Amino acid sequence: MSDKDDDKLMAAAGKLATEISPERDLWPGIEAAIHSPKRSSWTPMFAQAAAVLLLVGASSMVTYFVVKEDQRVIEVVRPTLTTDTVAFADRQLLGREYEQAHGQIQSQLNQELERLSPETRADVERNLAVIRQAIGDINEALEKEPDNTLLQELLANAYRDELAIMQRVGNLTQQIMSRKDI
Amino acid sequence: MDALLTAPVSDYSRRMVALHRPELTDEADWIARAQRSDAQAFESLYRLHVDKVYGLCLRMTGNVSEAEDCTQEAFIQAWNKLDRFRGDSAFGTWMHRIAVNAVLGRIRKSRRERDRIQDASAMSVSPASVADTGEMRDLADAVDRLPQGARHVFVLHAVYGYSHEETGEMLDIAPGTSKAQLHRARRLLTQQLKAQGFEA
Repeated sequence: MSDKDDDKLMAAAGKLATEISPERDLWPGIEAAIHSPKRSSWTPMFAQAAAVLLLVGASSMVTYFVVKEDQRVIEVVRPTLTTDTVAFADRQLLGREYEQAHGQIQSQLNQELERLSPETRADVERNLAVIRQAIGDINEALEKEPDNTLLQELLANAYRDELAIMQRVGNLTQQIMSRKDI
Repeated sequence: MDALLTAPVSDYSRRMVALHRPELTDEADWIARAQRSDAQAFESLYRLHVDKVYGLCLRMTGNVSEAEDCTQEAFIQAWNKLDRFRGDSAFGTWMHRIAVNAVLGRIRKSRRERDRIQDASAMSVSPASVADTGEMRDLADAVDRLPQGARHVFVLHAVYGYSHEETGEMLDIAPGTSKAQLHRARRLLTQQLKAQGFEA
């Protein structure tokens, strides 16, 4: 390839059209996309996040429950405390403070769920239902074996997971609502 | 004359404003309004820049339907990122960068759907047939047949005039790689065009 050929090629390339009109008007598609609610396009991400939270479970224990619940309960659920005997089967034993926190977060969650698409809301509620079913099952088992520390730990973890998901759903919704870099 | 200058602006003249050639001040106003979620202003920006964006997408993809999708994707992304546009570069340059990202993103997706894209490609009209005439059409066809990496660099550097640094930044490659790809593109194009007796 000679320099002359090269120069000729580059000069010709500079003459190629840089502005080309599309054969059809592309604006209607763009307009439809920018007028649709932004968060709806994140529904799959949201559903995935909820699913991941469900699977990750105990590893994401950054919950209100951990912070607010009194130390007595936290100590009780540690598997190392096998000599402790605690009646843990009754949900009321988690304390009024837990119930209040649970109620507040549930109320917040209900508001957040209102903002989601029916499909996403159904996914989140389905995930929470799985955990709540597990809580019910563990409670039933504890009625028969109230001293079983493994069941106690499972129950505490299930409560933590439930609260963690409820809180993270709220946080994620707020993040989605406020993100401007998408 | 004075009376004409001070006469109230009629509805008719207001409509005329939309017909005149857009000035930079119009663009700045449209950008500011679009940043406040004014879709009508954004449509004005679209009308002003769509040919530049579509042209780039068409040259890079070599496929009409892919270029249309990339153009739409680029403007949707631009709408969502408008609050980040600070005017450090021209709006058209900013749109070009977004368009390149849209093309690269689509290519990555296409690799996962190779068969579908190949089918679509077979049905598409060559970009050269819609944009260029005469011998320039031969060149455009030859560019279209370049390997993807060489084509992207050639289009951005040789056709659109971006430096190797800018081209590298847009394509996420080193400037040296951009130079190497350009050399490869020139060699392949020269071979192709000589065989066709091309005279620029």
